[in-house]
Amino acid sequence: MTTLIPPAAGPGDAPAAGGPGSPALPDALWRTTWRRLWGDRGSRTALIAAALLILVALTAPLLSRLGGWSPTAFDADAIDPYLGGLPHGALGGVSAEHWLGVEPVTGRDLFARVVHGAQVSLLIAFAATAIVVVTGTAAGIAAGYFGGRVDTVLSRLMDLTMSFPSLIFMIAMMSVAQDVNRVVLMTVVIGVFGWPGIARVVRAEALSLRHREYVEAARACGSGPWRILTRQVLPNISGPVIAYTTLLIPGMISTEAALSFLGVGVRPPTPSWGQMIAEAVAYYETDPMYFIVPSVFLFVAVLAFTVLGDALRDILDPQGGRP
Amino acid sequence: MIAYLVRRLLGVAGVLLAICAVTFVIFYLLPADPASAACGKTCSPERLAEVRHFMGLDQPVWRQFGDYLVGIFAGRELGSGPHALQCGFPCLGYSYENALPVWDLLMDRLPVSVSLAFGAAGLWLVLGLSAGVTAALRKGGLLDRTLMVGAVATASLPVYFTAVMLLYGLVRLTGLLPYPAYVPLTDDPVAWAVNLLLPWIALALLYAAMYARQSRSSMIETMAQPYIRTARAKGLPARTVVVKHGLRSAMMPVLTLFGMDLGALLAGAVITESIFGIPGVGRLFYDALQRSDQPVVLGVTLLAAFFIVAANVVIDLLYAAVDPRVRN
Amino acid sequence: MSRRTRALSASLSTSLALALLAACSTQGGDERGPDKRQPGVATGTVIGGTPKRGGTLTVLSNQDFAHLDPARNWVMPTMDFGTRLIYRTLTTFRAAPGKKGSEIVPDLATDLGRSSDGGRTWTFTLKPGLVYEDGTPIRARDIKYNVERSFAPDLAGGPDYAQRYLAGTEGYAGPLDGEHLDSIRTPDDRTIVFSLRRPVAEFSYTVTLPTFSPVPESREKGVQYDLRPFSSGPYRIESYARGKKLVLGRNPHWDAASDPVRKAYPDRIVVIQGLKGGQIDDRIIESAGADASAVEWSDLQPSSVAKVLPKPEIRQRLSAERTGCTDMLALNTSRAPFDDPKLRQAMQYAVDKEAQVTANGGPALNDVATAYLPPSLTGGRPADPVHDGPATGDVTKAEKLLAEAGKADGFDTTITVSTGDKTRAEALQQSLDRVGIRLRIETVDPSVYYDTIGDTANAPDMAISGWCPDYPSAATFLPFVFDGRTIKPKGNQGNVSQFRDKAVEKRMDEIAAMPDATAANEAWTALDQEIQRTSPAIPLLWERKPLLVGDNIAGAFGHPSWTGQFDFAVIGLKDPSRTRG
Repeated sequence: MTTLIPPAAGPGDAPAAGGPGSPALPDALWRTTWRRLWGDRGSRTALIAAALLILVALTAPLLSRLGGWSPTAFDADAIDPYLGGLPHGALGGVSAEHWLGVEPVTGRDLFARVVHGAQVSLLIAFAATAIVVVTGTAAGIAAGYFGGRVDTVLSRLMDLTMSFPSLIFMIAMMSVAQDVNRVVLMTVVIGVFGWPGIARVVRAEALSLRHREYVEAARACGSGPWRILTRQVLPNISGPVIAYTTLLIPGMISTEAALSFLGVGVRPPTPSWGQMIAEAVAYYETDPMYFIVPSVFLFVAVLAFTVLGDALRDILDPQGGRP
Repeated sequence: MIAYLVRRLLGVAGVLLAICAVTFVIFYLLPADPASAACGKTCSPERLAEVRHFMGLDQPVWRQFGDYLVGIFAGRELGSGPHALQCGFPCLGYSYENALPVWDLLMDRLPVSVSLAFGAAGLWLVLGLSAGVTAALRKGGLLDRTLMVGAVATASLPVYFTAVMLLYGLVRLTGLLPYPAYVPLTDDPVAWAVNLLLPWIALALLYAAMYARQSRSSMIETMAQPYIRTARAKGLPARTVVVKHGLRSAMMPVLTLFGMDLGALLAGAVITESIFGIPGVGRLFYDALQRSDQPVVLGVTLLAAFFIVAANVVIDLLYAAVDPRVRN
Repeated sequence: MSRRTRALSASLSTSLALALLAACSTQGGDERGPDKRQPGVATGTVIGGTPKRGGTLTVLSNQDFAHLDPARNWVMPTMDFGTRLIYRTLTTFRAAPGKKGSEIVPDLATDLGRSSDGGRTWTFTLKPGLVYEDGTPIRARDIKYNVERSFAPDLAGGPDYAQRYLAGTEGYAGPLDGEHLDSIRTPDDRTIVFSLRRPVAEFSYTVTLPTFSPVPESREKGVQYDLRPFSSGPYRIESYARGKKLVLGRNPHWDAASDPVRKAYPDRIVVIQGLKGGQIDDRIIESAGADASAVEWSDLQPSSVAKVLPKPEIRQRLSAERTGCTDMLALNTSRAPFDDPKLRQAMQYAVDKEAQVTANGGPALNDVATAYLPPSLTGGRPADPVHDGPATGDVTKAEKLLAEAGKADGFDTTITVSTGDKTRAEALQQSLDRVGIRLRIETVDPSVYYDTIGDTANAPDMAISGWCPDYPSAATFLPFVFDGRTIKPKGNQGNVSQFRDKAVEKRMDEIAAMPDATAANEAWTALDQEIQRTSPAIPLLWERKPLLVGDNIAGAFGHPSWTGQFDFAVIGLKDPSRTRG
């Protein structure tokens, strides 16, 4: 089931920027990367937005206390029960008391819910990305560096995983499981289908590194495979891996949102952006604010990480390594 | 070439078998009991046991799986007696909720999803490629930057947001388009297109944005290749260089992506179909989940896997035809 | 049986209902002032006047029918659709809004049935000259055959009254293997005699159920009969693509003279399924083109309420009949904490029913329930509440009872709800928090909701559960919900509280055997109060069913016997020429 990566998109002959893995260079590499990221207006904005969102997620309980509402507290006074629970006032009940308005029917504070939603959405996205990157990199290195039968088996497994209709399968798996921690389950399910992409990139890099002089040299000096992998190979593929990782995050955020949107995500009353949007879709006309608030957060998060990932890729892996 | 083909097809069968097995095992662990759902509100334990037996749920999992596999190729008979259910080749199981073989249900819904997928795919290829190539040829210019900012922003919008906004703008506010529905192509081609236009646009926008980005970078890479420089140096007209030499090879990675995307969409765009209420395979899948109609869930999963695998094979064969090295 | 409808579709779960009865304003959200306007049309009103014959009626639905096979059809609005359009039953409900709709009239039979042997034997005579859609005669043995089909395990899901009432049915597994029941006799083609295991006073009502409609044995297709029931009613199925579209055309052999109920105004009825709820509302509000001649099958979405109520011209196209069901909070009486009646009584005061009303669509859409039996079963006036108090609950009384039970500091407890009811569970969580009861919410997928709460060994402490009578008799309510003998270890439904009380069970049997319906009614109401005292469940809501019609629809009203769904027997179009074809 080989989906061929055509030569043009394959790894270039040039090693990752920074050259052969002498220990001093990565530091310089990081400084260059940072300078270039910060130097560009677009990626600087994305960096700030992403950092802000992460900060919001980390301090969600604090922020919602600042707003004066817990994400689960009802406010019967903020809504009009007669009109199906629509918020009182313009813009979905935006007021000094409820900064972003309230949820229809319950009167729960949207600000509190959306910042707590950031926590859940980003937690799942990052954790799933971590799973994908760790498994993907390990499998990729193993396949590329050891080659032979290991490569065959792992490559087949990658092909198989990529042939799964992943979204359909994720939905099915999420709806099957009942008595498990939804956040953990969601992370694992999303992670399970994500690893082959990065594994392929890493495998190609590792293949090309395998016969480099410095790797051969290390081998000749009697270094064991573990040492070679961690000291020589890993540092040299870290550039593409980091770029690829950043590019994975927006996909993970979207997938979490999509699953929650379809009602197989986290369980209530835990808010997540996808779930909030799913509930708000019906109100897009009667209470547009309710629909727009979580959508904007989701949009900004995905956009920020995409721009950031693009920039990092241009800097760290200019020649390719694209999935 | 023949040997290659055989090898590939064997691989395909293996992958489908593996997917089938994994899906089957997962659903065997499902706590929901389709028998008790079918049995009704005051179902006695004895009656439940009878219903389970009728549905074949009292068999061990390997046995059920074996029957299922055999059924795909040979068809099978479900239940016994004068009113046993005939489930002919290819039997993907029987949906007791719908009183129909899963295959019939899939074939009933497939035209809807195929219409949705191909219409959207046509749109996004045209939109995405033209935007991508235009941007690549004017790399760094204002048009390039505008297009790419637009693409990255559009790609970041969740499909359900785009869908709802389009519905609001094109249907509710202006009445330019009708509410999405499905009219068979054979009944009325115009109504078919008009009714599906909204979901096509919603779906295509997202993919067009991704394809614009992909085709731009692919095009830029290709145009930097030595042979393009050679072609230029030979004094070939710019148009020939771009179209004949550049575009052709730049489109290869896009083609790979396209095969995968189209394959995945053919078996239903779950979110788009459920937002617009379009009765395609994705909607069938979603409804089946709600009703614990496991045979249908399994059937849709297999169909989706089949399309993805098939799309891969087609793409690979295209490569193999072009590049003999691939066959080894 | 609308509980199953609720389970099937998460989006449906937020059922709305509009309160209109002046009588309810004392129970519901009092002192709402100007907000207490009358939404929709008043109960008993027919929308659009009398229809004209012809045209195409469109029904817009977000789901497929559960089962159209008359032996399996036990989901409330689908029973309406099947028995009003495709098959006829021995008796049926009058096609009239309001209280008159609960009266039964003969349909296939010449009268409401004659009982003998103290109500143990019931005899019905078919009208002469009745035929199916192909012109072949409807025979008494065809009705017997369909009743037998309801015993077949492969044809599961239908009403089980035949199993409950008929004599000598032990071990019977349906007619598909050629076995037949002796307790139904058909001495000739027009006579059918049922022998029951105990007296059933309201058997004339029982035979309104689709189980008692004719299916000729020659048309038997097992499970697949569901796709194409053979018509004895005014319409026959022209095409049915499951989950997509059902088309009904006229049955040329149906004789209007033999049918006192069905008017069959439209020439064609097209049901479009699998649409999105909010889009159905929007389409019918706009009433453009064919949508003007459309009605909605599923409830108006809560998010659409604001598009309807403030606009009088749209509001007058809204029907909002009482569903006749009671929505309850079932307390698991089989183990701690709710094996203690004191705690259960404390719950009566701890629960904020007003918050439940809001979470379920607001006071305009629900009434606070004060008894188990819905008012439609008790002559319009519910049993007096035993635990009287404000709808928002009485924290002081609740705390006092908690202290008496030795739980002054409250306790931990759990509830399981289907995902569609999660807002209600959260509202409950908030209200119980006031008296220190800490509630943990488990939500499960609607598809497995009944399996989860029906697994008695692992059932949660509480569950939101409801019951709808199958016909206007408390005999189709209390025995299903509070008879301890109906509890099953798995798939337990109805008696979700697992309530066992010998005295109550004995009383139920006595009332069921009463030949006089009025006396039985009073006895059921008294028993309602009796059960309230031990409080196995908290009555929460009496919902209404909000349904919109297009502006070309006439003869539409929510029928009380079918949970407020439109009566499809008499619905039609104002101007048939506005629909093509």
